[in-house]
Amino acid sequence: MPESPTPSLVKSPKVAIIGNPNVGKSTIFNQLTGLSQKIGNYPGVTVDKKTGWMNYHGSSYEIIDLPGTYSLYPNSEDEIIAHRVLNELSDEERPEFVLMIIDSCQLSRGLFLATQLIDLGLNLALVLNMADIATRKNIAIKSFELFKTLGVPILSTDARGEKGLDQIRELIHQQNFSKKSSFINIEEVVPASLLNEVKSKFGLSNSYQAYQMLRFGEKDKAYSQDDRNWLKTKLAESTIDLDKAQLEETKIRYRQITEIVDKAVQKTPDVSQEAGVDKILLHPVFGYLIFAGILLLIFQAIFAWASVPMDLIDGFFAELSGWVSNLLPEGPLTSLITEGIIPGIGGVVIFIPQIAMLFGFLAILEDTGYMSRVVFLMDRWMRPFGLHGKSIVPLVSGVACAIPGVMAARNIGNWKEKIITIMVTPLMSCSARLPVYIILIGLVVPDELIFGIFNLQAVALLGLYLLGVIGVFFTALLLKNILKTKEKSFLMVELPTYRAPRWFDVLLTMYTKSKTFVLEAGKVILAISVILWVLASYGPPERMDAIRAESELKLAQASPEEIPTIENETASHLLENSFIGIMGRAIEPVIKPLGYDWKIGIALITSFAAREVFVSTIATIYSIGSDTEDELTIREKLNQQVNPETGEKVYNTATAFSLMVFYAFAMQCMSTLAVVYRETKGWKWPLIQTVYMTALAYFSALLVYQILS
Amino acid sequence: MFITADTIPVTRAAIIQEILDSPLKINLMELGFLPGKTITLHHSAPMGGPMAFKLEETILALRKTEASLIEVQLL
Repeated sequence: MPESPTPSLVKSPKVAIIGNPNVGKSTIFNQLTGLSQKIGNYPGVTVDKKTGWMNYHGSSYEIIDLPGTYSLYPNSEDEIIAHRVLNELSDEERPEFVLMIIDSCQLSRGLFLATQLIDLGLNLALVLNMADIATRKNIAIKSFELFKTLGVPILSTDARGEKGLDQIRELIHQQNFSKKSSFINIEEVVPASLLNEVKSKFGLSNSYQAYQMLRFGEKDKAYSQDDRNWLKTKLAESTIDLDKAQLEETKIRYRQITEIVDKAVQKTPDVSQEAGVDKILLHPVFGYLIFAGILLLIFQAIFAWASVPMDLIDGFFAELSGWVSNLLPEGPLTSLITEGIIPGIGGVVIFIPQIAMLFGFLAILEDTGYMSRVVFLMDRWMRPFGLHGKSIVPLVSGVACAIPGVMAARNIGNWKEKIITIMVTPLMSCSARLPVYIILIGLVVPDELIFGIFNLQAVALLGLYLLGVIGVFFTALLLKNILKTKEKSFLMVELPTYRAPRWFDVLLTMYTKSKTFVLEAGKVILAISVILWVLASYGPPERMDAIRAESELKLAQASPEEIPTIENETASHLLENSFIGIMGRAIEPVIKPLGYDWKIGIALITSFAAREVFVSTIATIYSIGSDTEDELTIREKLNQQVNPETGEKVYNTATAFSLMVFYAFAMQCMSTLAVVYRETKGWKWPLIQTVYMTALAYFSALLVYQILS
Repeated sequence: MFITADTIPVTRAAIIQEILDSPLKINLMELGFLPGKTITLHHSAPMGGPMAFKLEETILALRKTEASLIEVQLL
């Protein structure tokens, strides 16, 4: 495994990899860099900065994986990055070399971007990838012919079959890239005098760079206000229409490319194999059924497989806490480590199996070419709600866990559609709600059949999942009417050739996504865990001391079998009088209309960390002890709770349903909050989301309780 | 007579005549929807959903509104 080199005195040359979407760019990047990849951030956008190192014959090269794009004119955040990196003015930031990957079957579209790179005056080499598919489709490319006209080195590879990768390594090592003067003459579109002025003002070396500066510099905050004003004035004076110029450029470029392609490519017509498969997978009825079936399979697998490592992780961190608390002397520091930090880290790590598996499955669907088909099928049903066909991926992921869902919203280009998707995904019923639902349903819904076939408890559970879906579409509609954007929503997506997934890429996706989650969201989660721990362990000293003194007195007199009961009662009293306990009492007037007492209030506050904490908190409050494995014990205990004022059961049907509805809608998950913060680059949206979801939860629960009681 | 691409019958081929003016014109052209190229309707999603066109060796999905920007002549 190649190690990331420590910064040495000699700077490693930078090589940027660029290409259209779906050309096997990431495969080549993965093969070149392996596990030395690092994910960072570009300032101001959510796009990940993927870099890695290639070590070859003792030299190391920094490889930058740029997001897929069709041209230098950006339409989405992803494409802005490619534009920005390649137009970088400072030599420090600009990659020395650019490796452009082209799908051999889509030569003209690839050359469109490639010739723009040539015009920018970049040091370029072309890789004609997917040579195998081209051969299968009877497409023959005369690469020498191409080389003669374009003047840059050209390689032919099949990255999936790992053919030609050594040639790429060798090419990078030999620095066999070359600069050509220009492909089209941009002065046909924009007056040379204007371009020359821009060139001398910014010290640019060619006209196309100057043209790009005219086109984008004015809006780019990377340049000084003076420079931007200067560009603005020049544009106003010249009266050129930049949109028209771009259209003109596109026409000229494609005209020249068509001439080249006609000479360099020999094609014998073939019959597409996609037609047959798509007849079934895109069928108006079977298409949707197959999609539903695949989803069912994925969830089945996640629930069945992820629970094993999750239980192991849970057990491991519990053991670790126990082990550390035995090892260290008793005191607040030990308690912070064993009850705050270790469970906090555990709370982050526990999500890894689900995140990794979900991203694994998504990567397989993406890689086989099926995901674009799903987008195609679902777009029409998402649009009326202000969502995009691509929103289906986050929503579906949300059933397992909102975290990977929110992370997957990233490749939705339209700002409004992306924000709506992020805002509604946590309303899908995730797996962390399940323990809460199961305990409460078991408490109040009888375990019997209706209509002779349906189990009533299962029907109740299904109802809660549907409630989540209704919440999603209701909220999406609401946001659709509130949020304003000038961006036009559009769908232009390639349905790629069906292919077998590349397992190395799938595994690497699972690894990098989990790593990003742990490193980025983990910080926030850990911080909130520690705060919650402080609030739950400390209270007004006189009260806490009194409880401890009383407990010691009792313990001194108790028989050995009474000790656990006393300890559990003490834990319960301590929690009641801690700051969280005091907060729970303080919010009682607010939650009373929902049918909750202050003990449930405490659980609501602690489970802000994560929904499943509800179960362990009520276990502590009702002094069941820390062993919460036995759900039956909790259930019995809850069933016995009686309201001292009315003499009725605390957990009656109305309260239990009100609680379930509350948990269906409330944002009780700081990990999601942390991820939304990361994805939207600020606290605005996570805060709006939390306030909205809490309000929705509160009023829905209020309604349910008032109707049922 | 020219029609727009959203009205092409399934599996019928057509030659692109022009891309109509709109903010999306450039996006369509960058994808390769250019006058003179042949497109075939590969598949249509139900209930007025997106349409997938075969353009050279690619299948590209567009919404009906975007397809209506492509003026074609049936072959």
